[in-house]
Amino acid sequence: MILKATELKKDFPRSGKSSNFFTAVQPVDLTVSSGEMTVITGKSGSGKSTLLNMLSGMLQPTSGKVTLDETDIYSLDEKTRALLRNEKTGLIPQGNTALLSLSVLENVLLPFVLYHKEEPPAARAKELLDKVGIAELMNEKPGELSGGEFRRMAVARALLMNPGILFADEPTAGLDSENTEAVLSLLRKAADSGAAVLLVTHEDDAAKYADRILTMDGGRLFDTGR
Amino acid sequence: MISLKNLPFKNLKGYSGRTAALIFFSALMSVAIFGGSLIIAGVRQGLNTVEARLGADIMVTPESAKNDFDAQTVLLQAEPGYFYMEKSKVDEIAKVDGVDLISPQVFMASTKAGCCSARLQMIAYDPATDFTIQPWIADTYTNGDMGLMDVVVGSDVTVYKDRTISFYDNDCHIVGQFDPTGSTLDSCVYMNFDTVKKLIDSSFVKGMNLYSEYDPDDVVSAVMVRVKPGADIEEVAANIQKQVSGVTTATSRNMVSGIGESLSRVAGTVGILIAAFGLVGILMTVLVFVMMINERKGEFEALKAVGADRKLMSGIVAKEAVMVNLAGGIIGIALSGMILIMFRSLFETLLGAGFVIPGPGVIALMAAAALLAVMVSAAVSSFAAVRRIGGKSL
Repeated sequence: MILKATELKKDFPRSGKSSNFFTAVQPVDLTVSSGEMTVITGKSGSGKSTLLNMLSGMLQPTSGKVTLDETDIYSLDEKTRALLRNEKTGLIPQGNTALLSLSVLENVLLPFVLYHKEEPPAARAKELLDKVGIAELMNEKPGELSGGEFRRMAVARALLMNPGILFADEPTAGLDSENTEAVLSLLRKAADSGAAVLLVTHEDDAAKYADRILTMDGGRLFDTGR
Repeated sequence: MISLKNLPFKNLKGYSGRTAALIFFSALMSVAIFGGSLIIAGVRQGLNTVEARLGADIMVTPESAKNDFDAQTVLLQAEPGYFYMEKSKVDEIAKVDGVDLISPQVFMASTKAGCCSARLQMIAYDPATDFTIQPWIADTYTNGDMGLMDVVVGSDVTVYKDRTISFYDNDCHIVGQFDPTGSTLDSCVYMNFDTVKKLIDSSFVKGMNLYSEYDPDDVVSAVMVRVKPGADIEEVAANIQKQVSGVTTATSRNMVSGIGESLSRVAGTVGILIAAFGLVGILMTVLVFVMMINERKGEFEALKAVGADRKLMSGIVAKEAVMVNLAGGIIGIALSGMILIMFRSLFETLLGAGFVIPGPGVIALMAAAALLAVMVSAAVSSFAAVRRIGGKSL
């Protein structure tokens, strides 16, 4: 699976002045391929998350396009694009995101139940929870989890549908070194299993797991040469 | 196991405090709308029934009965009583200009003593001339003919299995029972002249009648008058009072005006309450839903992350709103209906008006209206919430 961004740009209007725009991402060209773990680093506000949101189909770009195996994802209507995201991509969003009234296991099953009426694949979800090391917590509510456990749950959730591409937005923010290593190892394993992994972070820990490291600064993407 | 279908329910269950608050506000709304309109309809129906049951334009009573008979309040809070005037007054009244039909009635009250089943107001009519009571009896039972010792009772009179009721040691046979009017008429016992004369005789024998000097064959308590078409009721009433000595008149309008005033007062107050509670309910529901969206930001982020589009998320929120408002609406309807039925008498006292529970069709219509209102509130709430979701990028 190949994700390709061409001349991808995002402007945000400044509040109160509709004619005045702030360019969060300058035109970017980027290709992410299967089995490869790409890490984009940069300071807060450099445009990393905006770029990731556009690449993952969550944020309409101002100009440019994003293609997923030749499909221009922003040429699709919202529903079709959402379905495509559900089937082909996995996303670990920033922060602790989960449905707090559901159990950990049910949260992991969430991507499946949105568009399927069949019995959800509980065995696979349990297997993933086992892989991320929190199988014993599957019946707990997310509110009971620590930050590290929360992210592991998000990783398991993102992997449920066997995505071709895995996006991770600051997946190690606020985690201790042990949990940081655990989460990054899981993402590396996903890449080794054939998924394209794109990770944005302002921390340096991810570098040793990456196949390629890019840097963002002032909305511009720079190749570090690795 | 989890499914998209049961996700809204799981969300509501997971936030029991917030769900309870939302149910409370929608219940409040439906109590105001359903309970309020039930009160208005109940009082209005009571008023209409009383007015129709009176059946006469003017009621003529002896002037000496002023202490026992107050036309303004008799339908709402009269104690069983009786008074008499000479039968000759009937002919005098008939001669007054504008009078079309007249029919005398004889009143009697039973006592709490052992000779009577209960202390009740008895109203006897003259089958030959009556135009006020017999039509109601005919509407309710067979041809309206009642024999000696047959009675029809108001809705508040207890009817036992043997269908007999005893007055001054005379057993009367209950041949029917009227629907409620929400007035003192509901505690009355209706009979013909022959029956009441027998009862009056018995009360004389027992020394339990204040008017033992009267000949029961020669007295009446009231004369019901219907005026000729086009005649001015007030004018005819004034003429009766002027031309017939020792009598006083009350028009049906006078008699129900007390209730009518109460009705307007009640309708006004209830209208304000409906508006206030409805508005508070809608505002609170919308507020809670909008706050909920902020509070549940992480949840919607998770849904977006796994591929939910705005429509799908809006559907979840809308289902939550419908479920919670429907539950609140039904609880409110059941609660207000139960309270109104159980404490009908208390409401009558508080409202100063008779109250008749409307028929099932009207109740169903009101319940549907109340549910519709809470559903509108659900729609507004989820719309406001969905706009918040929509405002965020996807």
